[in-house]
Amino acid sequence: MGPLYKYGWFDFAYSLQLAGLIGFCFGFLLERAGFGNPRKLTSIFYLRDFAVLKVMFTAIIVCMVGLLYFSVLGWIDLSRIYLLPTYIWPQIVGGLLLGIGFVMGGYCPTTSVVATVSGKLDGLIFVVGMILGSLVFGEIFPALQHFYESGSMGAVTLPQVLNIQSGVIALGVCLMAVIAYWLVEKVENRFGDPETLPGGSRRAKLTAAGVIVALGLILAIVNPDKIAATRKHAAPVAANSEQSLVSPSAPAGESEQGGAIIVEDEGC
Amino acid sequence: MEKERYANPYVIGALLGLVLLFTFYTMGRGLGSSSTFARIAVAIVHAIAPGHAKSNPYFSKYLGGPHSPLMAWLVFLTMGAGLGGLFSAFISRRVKGEVARGPSIGISARLWLALFGGMLSGFAARMARGCTSGQALTGASELAFGSWVFMFCIFAGAYGTAVFFRKEWL
Repeated sequence: MGPLYKYGWFDFAYSLQLAGLIGFCFGFLLERAGFGNPRKLTSIFYLRDFAVLKVMFTAIIVCMVGLLYFSVLGWIDLSRIYLLPTYIWPQIVGGLLLGIGFVMGGYCPTTSVVATVSGKLDGLIFVVGMILGSLVFGEIFPALQHFYESGSMGAVTLPQVLNIQSGVIALGVCLMAVIAYWLVEKVENRFGDPETLPGGSRRAKLTAAGVIVALGLILAIVNPDKIAATRKHAAPVAANSEQSLVSPSAPAGESEQGGAIIVEDEGC
Repeated sequence: MEKERYANPYVIGALLGLVLLFTFYTMGRGLGSSSTFARIAVAIVHAIAPGHAKSNPYFSKYLGGPHSPLMAWLVFLTMGAGLGGLFSAFISRRVKGEVARGPSIGISARLWLALFGGMLSGFAARMARGCTSGQALTGASELAFGSWVFMFCIFAGAYGTAVFFRKEWL
């Protein structure tokens, strides 16, 4: 039962090695997609190349669908996954500012790292800028604190806010993604450079779209929330026995395994 | 625009989704990177003026543990991302010292915009408690409400101001 770390399968030191490995894959994939190149990244804002949207939406639906199936199959306890809390006002303002920073500077935080290592001086300057920006935020934090904590809604999800079960929301996200892909490809073909746009057969795309929608539809019918709720009673027992089997020295809970260090910035 | 062929974005997106799923399954958390830069900032302030760093209510959040503020999961993830990006750029012979910019903007103007864009992004990521990966990608996959709002706000902010930076890129 996942998440493995929360069930004491490995310690903090090992988790850092894992972070390096996961990061390696992350950076590798971003560079493969061309996201170390700010002209490739920003061309989405000039309607020429929507690779950013395609990568992001595809990653989101694959992971979202995967998490819900894992939950249905009992492989992961979603309630043990750190859920980013919602502070609606700072998130709206932060999002708008990050968008402006993106089109002005040419990168978002992770892609600027990829650009820096591939030799781009502007990427390095962007990284320096981010460190300075964080510094400024910290220095004026006392004045911002009130706003920073405004609009707090707790760790809420889209299904909770809309009061619709996760499976139906997942289906909605899948449908939205497929429609977005179709739409942006129309726009790209009109404004973009056909030589740099990716190919791909129409048949493969239609098949993929069909699979995405079918997976969402199954989730909508199965109702992962209900299944997770019925399983909840059994979970803690299994968790404790599993934990004592794997790491008998670690006490129950997450206090020992470097939790104090991680809790601070979980998520961001 | 250089005529450069990159990998198919749908394929990359699907693989990235699997990496993210693996991260959730093993760690119970998602990807991220922006707090790495906040931690670097804290480490610098702490090295120069430890008292000032400890008395600041925001910086002190990162100084609570027994280790340096850089001894954190996301810092290692970001270092890994640097290595992975380097490996990919290396095998495609894309490692090249340059200032990436459109044909109608000078080098110094581009670097100033990169600096200000970076500052704005660093500030914004702290404000929103995450960036494109830590908030938008990770939060949206777990259907966090604020992350979805945040993601659409990124697009709104960028599309709304893109016209002012047209000369920088096209």
